[in-house]
Amino acid sequence: MHAIEAKGLTKIYEGSIRAVDGVDLCVEEGEVFGLLGPNGAGKSTTIKMLLTLLKPTSGSIEILGVDALSSPSRVRELVGYVPQEVSVDGDLTGYENLLIFSKFYSSNVKKEKIRGILEYIGLQEKADDLVKNYSGGMMRRLEIAQALVNEPKILFLDEPSIGLDPYVKREVWMLVKTLKEERGMTIFMTTHDMMEAEYFCDRVAIMNAGKIVVLGRPSDLKESVGADVVSLKVSNHVAGLRVPGEVGKLISTNNEELSIVPNGRAEEALPRLILELEKQGVVIHSISISRPTLDDVFLKYTKMRIQEAESLRQARLARRSFRRHAK
Amino acid sequence: MSVPKFLRGTVTIAEMEARKLRHASSELWIRAVQPALWLLVFGEALSKVRGIAPSKFTYLQFITPGVLSQSVLFIAIFYGITLVWERDLGLLSKLLATPVPQSSIVAGKALSAAIRGLFQAIVVFALALIIHVNLNLQVLDVLGVFVVITLLAMCFSSLSMFIASMIKTRERMMGIGQLITMPLFFASNAIYPLSLMPKWLQYVAIANPLSYAVNALRSLLLTGDYSSLPQDILVLLVYTLVLLFATSLTIRRIIQ
Repeated sequence: MHAIEAKGLTKIYEGSIRAVDGVDLCVEEGEVFGLLGPNGAGKSTTIKMLLTLLKPTSGSIEILGVDALSSPSRVRELVGYVPQEVSVDGDLTGYENLLIFSKFYSSNVKKEKIRGILEYIGLQEKADDLVKNYSGGMMRRLEIAQALVNEPKILFLDEPSIGLDPYVKREVWMLVKTLKEERGMTIFMTTHDMMEAEYFCDRVAIMNAGKIVVLGRPSDLKESVGADVVSLKVSNHVAGLRVPGEVGKLISTNNEELSIVPNGRAEEALPRLILELEKQGVVIHSISISRPTLDDVFLKYTKMRIQEAESLRQARLARRSFRRHAK
Repeated sequence: MSVPKFLRGTVTIAEMEARKLRHASSELWIRAVQPALWLLVFGEALSKVRGIAPSKFTYLQFITPGVLSQSVLFIAIFYGITLVWERDLGLLSKLLATPVPQSSIVAGKALSAAIRGLFQAIVVFALALIIHVNLNLQVLDVLGVFVVITLLAMCFSSLSMFIASMIKTRERMMGIGQLITMPLFFASNAIYPLSLMPKWLQYVAIANPLSYAVNALRSLLLTGDYSSLPQDILVLLVYTLVLLFATSLTIRRIIQ
């Protein structure tokens, strides 16, 4: 049994716009799976279909073996969802937000349990304040806590760090990482942030214009684009410089800069490389390692940079929703 | 879907709305201004005109149940805007991703409109006492009024949520709210009896659930003639159930 299995998932809006176009996905239990792509690629539509919020035009979805199309309410018992927008209720206290949400799932809600969750996310002091007075990071933590009250088997995060400042983003990342490591929770997330995808995900699917263009482990995908490159600034150019095959391969000597593709991981090849060059009398001033990013992967498979794929309208929509958070 | 699950969900949604109202109770007092104006300004002025109300009663007596039902109507008819607002905030998609039945969401929110309506009833009773409008305020009459107000608020808030699930934007909701409240209000017996209306308008008023609410409130608060009360409540109940049911089917459309 898979955590999520979708076949031929398609959503056509208003008769013509193919927001999601024949997507096949399979997510294993305990895996962190990322759906990556620019705004408007169809990520949110996909996550909404998996969550039974939207009916697909065609295709099938099974969540932990339950058919999401024929028994949506059983699927809703199994999952937790943190939407892209701020979805905690500003007119209630943090405690009440969790209390009401727990009551949606169970008729027997224990006060101590809710206080316990608030403590776990570090909000016990603010528990009885209205949420509209919380900071963005506190709201995000509360939202994640809210999605956990029913002890879901799968947690869905739609753009978990969108619109958050770098500090808060780190805070959220730590919390999600803890959930992954301590509870071994299956997490399905969408993001347009390459860093975020590399940081969390066991596997990513890159989506563009409603289709999955490539799917795999971040490291494999990056390898498919190209290898690490070590660049060295040197002060004296040595003619007849030789780099042994087991260390790496010299690909260019440009003025006082050497570019070398290391054999294997750059960090591991580096000590031997330095030793080798110094033995040949090269004086090294600085070393930098550049490695391909998922952005390069996106570029390779879609022939576009990720920002280029976002239309003005979508960028505007995304920013407007940030501004709503701020209020 | 099972009945206990529906009831539990409904009560939880209503509890959520009631807790929000408790944190922002000034809303209730601001809403009380409107019925006060209708009674103190409009009612006082029109009471100088003879022949509108049936001869047994003063015009203020006649209009009080009308003003009460109108103020509840105004609260309920704009209720769908809250739904659109919650959709925009992302609250609604999260709610709809939980196992709470969608019928509970509609019924719970309709109940919360009723809570606001009941508060209006209390305000209007208090005003009536202050300006010496003679009403029947025995326990059973007041309980009866509460039942009618609850149905009235649930009926029109469901209608409003039904419209919201179709048209989906706040601006259009405001427009439609404005568009339908006045005809609903004027094509009813709220501020003048049916007999003063032209024939065609009388037919509209007969189809208008507001007329039944006003009629029921008048029997309870003024005439003490309960003969048409079961019929009035039954008609309101049928309207309410139909609208609750219809809105339960359409509410998911609002997030699509």
